[in-house]
Amino acid sequence: MILAVLFANAEGNILIKRFHGVPAEERLHWRSFLVKLGADNLKGVKNEELLVACHKSVYIVYTILGDVSIYVVGKDAYDELALSEVIFTITSAVKDVCGKPPTERRFLDKYGRICLCLDEIVWKGYLENTEKDRIKRLIRLKPPTEF
Amino acid sequence: MADSSGTTLMDLITADPTPATSSSSSSTSAPPPSATSSTSLSSTLGKPATEKKSKRATLMQIQNDTISAAKAAVRTNIMPQKQKKKPVSYSQLARSIHELAATSDQRSSQRQLVQHVFPKLAVYNSVDPSLAPSLLMLNQQCEDKSVLRYVYYYLARILSDTGSQGLSSGGGIPTPNWDALADIDAVGGVTRADVVPRIIEQLSAEATNADVEFHARRLQSLKALTYAPSTNSDILSRLYEIVFGILEKVGDPSQKKKKGILGGKGGDKESIIRSNLQYASLSALRRLPLDPGNPAFLHYAVLGISSADPVAVRNALEIVSEIAARDPYAVAMALGKQVQPGGALQDVLHLHDVLARVSLARLCCTISRAKALDERPDIRSQFNSVLYQLLLDPSERVCFEAILCVLGKYDSAERTEERASGWYRLTREILKLPDASSKESSKDKSQKIKRPQPLIKLVMRRLESSFRSFSRPVLHAAARVVQEMGKSRAAAFALGIQDVDEGAHVNTFADASDLNDSDESTHPESIRRTSSVSNGTAGRDTIAGMLASLMEVVRTTVACECVYVRAMVIKALIWMQGPFDSFDELESIIASELSDPAWSAGLLNDVLLTLHARFKASPDMAVTLLEIARIFATKVPGKVDADVLQLLWKTCLVGAGPDGKHKALEAVTIVLDLPPPQPGSMLGLTSVDRVSASDPKSALALQRLVQAAVWFLGENANYAASEYAWESATPPGTALMMLDADKMVAAASSRNPTLAGALTRLQRCAFSGSWEALTTMAIRSGEPFRLQIYEFLHTLAQGGLQSQLSDVHLSNGEDQGASGTGLGVLLSPMIKVLDEMYSAQDDLIKEVRNHDNAKKEWTDDELKKLYETHERLLDLVSLFCYVPRTKYLPLGPISAKLIDIYRTRHNISASTGLSDPAVATGISDLIYESSKTPAAAEPDALDDDLVNAWAANLGDDGLWGNNAPAMNRVNEFLAGAGTDAPEVDEENIISRPSVSYDDMWAKTLLETTELEEDDAKSLGSSSPDSTGSVETSISSHFGGMSYPSLFSSRPNSYGADKASRGSGPSIYEGISSPIREEPPPYSSPGMYRNESFENPLAGTGSRSFESQDDERISSGNPQFGSALYDFTAGGDDELSLTAGEEVEIEYEVDGWFYVKKKRPGRDGKMAGLVPVLYVNQP
Repeated sequence: MILAVLFANAEGNILIKRFHGVPAEERLHWRSFLVKLGADNLKGVKNEELLVACHKSVYIVYTILGDVSIYVVGKDAYDELALSEVIFTITSAVKDVCGKPPTERRFLDKYGRICLCLDEIVWKGYLENTEKDRIKRLIRLKPPTEF
Repeated sequence: MADSSGTTLMDLITADPTPATSSSSSSTSAPPPSATSSTSLSSTLGKPATEKKSKRATLMQIQNDTISAAKAAVRTNIMPQKQKKKPVSYSQLARSIHELAATSDQRSSQRQLVQHVFPKLAVYNSVDPSLAPSLLMLNQQCEDKSVLRYVYYYLARILSDTGSQGLSSGGGIPTPNWDALADIDAVGGVTRADVVPRIIEQLSAEATNADVEFHARRLQSLKALTYAPSTNSDILSRLYEIVFGILEKVGDPSQKKKKGILGGKGGDKESIIRSNLQYASLSALRRLPLDPGNPAFLHYAVLGISSADPVAVRNALEIVSEIAARDPYAVAMALGKQVQPGGALQDVLHLHDVLARVSLARLCCTISRAKALDERPDIRSQFNSVLYQLLLDPSERVCFEAILCVLGKYDSAERTEERASGWYRLTREILKLPDASSKESSKDKSQKIKRPQPLIKLVMRRLESSFRSFSRPVLHAAARVVQEMGKSRAAAFALGIQDVDEGAHVNTFADASDLNDSDESTHPESIRRTSSVSNGTAGRDTIAGMLASLMEVVRTTVACECVYVRAMVIKALIWMQGPFDSFDELESIIASELSDPAWSAGLLNDVLLTLHARFKASPDMAVTLLEIARIFATKVPGKVDADVLQLLWKTCLVGAGPDGKHKALEAVTIVLDLPPPQPGSMLGLTSVDRVSASDPKSALALQRLVQAAVWFLGENANYAASEYAWESATPPGTALMMLDADKMVAAASSRNPTLAGALTRLQRCAFSGSWEALTTMAIRSGEPFRLQIYEFLHTLAQGGLQSQLSDVHLSNGEDQGASGTGLGVLLSPMIKVLDEMYSAQDDLIKEVRNHDNAKKEWTDDELKKLYETHERLLDLVSLFCYVPRTKYLPLGPISAKLIDIYRTRHNISASTGLSDPAVATGISDLIYESSKTPAAAEPDALDDDLVNAWAANLGDDGLWGNNAPAMNRVNEFLAGAGTDAPEVDEENIISRPSVSYDDMWAKTLLETTELEEDDAKSLGSSSPDSTGSVETSISSHFGGMSYPSLFSSRPNSYGADKASRGSGPSIYEGISSPIREEPPPYSSPGMYRNESFENPLAGTGSRSFESQDDERISSGNPQFGSALYDFTAGGDDELSLTAGEEVEIEYEVDGWFYVKKKRPGRDGKMAGLVPVLYVNQP
């Protein structure tokens, strides 16, 4: 289960958050924990270099892409390596939409489309589409395989 | 970040997009302040539907108010230092949608929607159901695909439960609870309940539309439908109907579709459409609740494995493997030939989808281990061979999953047998590569290249190469795999699987895999030990050799920058550590790791919990684990959870066995040897035995740890040393009075070095409140220990021993107390008890002599007097600690016969009965209940060991099964549970200026000591529930520390009341005055120091929670405030407020207050989060 996907800017403000299967009262805690994790560790990290953390049986993989840091939290089948797949799909979709590692401005300009991509990538707590081209087709309301 | 100031979420919804985009290069130029976008919008495009207008306007008004207020909060929260800029409000966006929906055939409206309105709407947390009609209208009338894609997105969001478990979409801007708003709007707002059926209706119609041109929309409507609340069985059955309807049409596994596989473009239109639909319906099915009773699930999922769409294959496999966990037999039968070479499962091996292969691994593992298939070894071995092939997978994720499956770890349930056989499999089995898998004889054929490989060799090689990776997730995962390997290995040794011979050459298995069962050595331990010593020569081909080389690589990984990776490595090392291996290396690794401030408390406790798990797996490890725990106690006293640490001491002490007990106690006493933390001192960093607590917080924590250790020693020293007064044959101590102190110490240590050691340590830390522990020991031990303690306490009370006690300086740097003024008062009750015991013993000896000399029989009166003294002393003693009343002889062994005579004569049973003051005060109820030891009620049936164990609070029922918080933490850890959010450390909060939970918590910890005195005085009585805390607080007062789970954190006048009311005068007369003269908070707790009675494992549980709660409330100085404005909760965790309402502020987090109301509000909620700005703080 992918418990959370979170986008934040350099100051730790949340840009997008998606929770699944996390009780409402826990979400704020998770949010602060992730933001702090990023603040402590993401300085000077290269774009798309993956960082890892865990808490009890929950895994966290996070990275930075341009001005935006991305956090993915999962458990069970979504261990640190599966989450790496998820975050890889997300970063490549974001890069695809923004054309390059985004500045915060650019990210916000493309906000709607990024939300749609995320909708195709993570579907009710499970990873769905991973191929960049397929995602691109789907957010334009085209079938996954063209004929 | 000056230039990023113009780019926030608020900007996104600010104004119209054109200036924003143009300013993207130079973001300093602020977009024109505007309500312009919406006004211009409505002026150019506005043809609002007039008949609805008035209704909507009211609704909008309310929404508008709420949201702009909410935004005020958000603005200050998210971007405090920004100049004012008026964002597009939600209601403006909503109005635009309504208006644009009406003109959706125009290109300009479409563009507005796609570029402006929809993206901005995404910023909000949730979508208003009143938008649904317009969205549905757009869905029907609009042709533009981009618009439609957004429409599906928003319809799905309206369908999804934004509440507790749903997908809460959206970014940082909270939205109100729309349904509540609609309720308020008496004119008739739109709620979810109104629109959901309509949305489902329309989407279902689309999902079943067979028009070819429509099929992309079918996929999206199916997807949106899965967000519908699955609790509604009508909707659910309808969804199943649609999905299975589609699958029925497309799922026919006609052979021609196979051509389409991986070809993608080569397929004809029809089959592509079919595979697209199959994909969408399988994906939808995956999101719906699994119905194992429905054979259609399995049927279509199995068909789906052959789908041309890789994502469909993955979803199908996930469904199948989930069903397999429940019914492996049915799945195996349904899969039939798919598993054989050329079958669909074999194709998955080459599928470019990692998660599909992971599911395949799980599926194969479940089936190949299924008991239901015991009679079909052929099927099991087929699946097993696919699993083994996955070990060679290029993706680490897949390979590791396969390794874990082999190791017997495939769900959260831990079964020792499964794990043990996992280790056996790993070390013994041979991987025959795919070509060779059919026949054994082919082994010879492909000897050079495809020579069958021992599984372990492959796995080790793979792991070693993973440890060379630069990717932190890979390192973390590899370390985790090694940890799981250690668990399986530990299980194998615990079950004594004799064949696990790590010294043997693995290739011997490969060559003689059929006959190796009998001829291998039967002494794995000895061989392993020797081979690990002679690693260099053992060569790489023994299991021990391979393990050694793997562990070498694992150890180097502690150089990783990431603390989480290192934590996992340390856990792996702990698990791979055997009970007989030398652990110097591990010790130094851990010691140097713990000196790193980067370790968070959560991580450290995780490792500590790992020690628990390790102990549970192999109790032989007790001593080693204690040594490791000692490093934690010395290195990071401020960060570890003292409860969990203490539980570890306790369990290890029980598990250590007779030989280990001394060592176990040593590991605890080392804490008492720690010199006081020296501010700023860095000297201790390299040595294990020096403490590093250089800041006040860890100094405080160390103090708590010391108190825990003192308490622990007092309680358990007799148990560990197996020294009990009631089992001792040594005559009472009068004879020893003649000895001088040195000789006495010598006598003591020659008699029982363990106890003597503990005693010395306790004496040295007398200022940490160890007199209580010492008294317990004195009462429970025979001579010469009792005398030794008596002397010590005596001198301590007189204050004359100061020069001899120079250690005191070291142990806490405070010496004024030893002058006798402070301590005498505290010590006198204890000395009194011992005094009474000794003088009664003297009297008895005199009497006996008199009787002997005069050759007189004992008269009944004399016996009665003796018996009464005996009982009185027993009562007294019971106030200090638990002793078995039937066995304990305060008058010494010689009294036994006389008391026995009196008892038989008067037919007195020796049971505790109501005469026990503990019973009289009601304390014992609590104790007996919590410890659940029936022995207490039937003293005649007492078994020696049980009594002694219980005396040490170690009743075996208490070890793993009750509700102490530490126990919960351990059990939860062992069960692998927990998705709750980690606590954020209170130090180094850089990112957010507001106070976090932990700050508050830390503050409460510091504040309680001041407050508790006041509380104690002001609280006339407390609830009966708090009987649990009727124990001493001498230590907490004296040291100004509190150790919540052991000592009550605040003294409680309840105890005093109760005692004076319940226990009658005799006790007070017995021990006379000093007690009465003391101020209330000190006196009675001093007398009624009963915590040693309790089984701390059970008894402290509820109590420590209680006290924490108390502290939070009491210390927080409850802050009250009143609501400035109305606030409507936008989520489950939020609380609606009415302006003027009184609230109690619990804490602040990220710009939100957690508040409590006096009365539940309209929605029945009492507590929740509200924006800080909404509350007026006095």
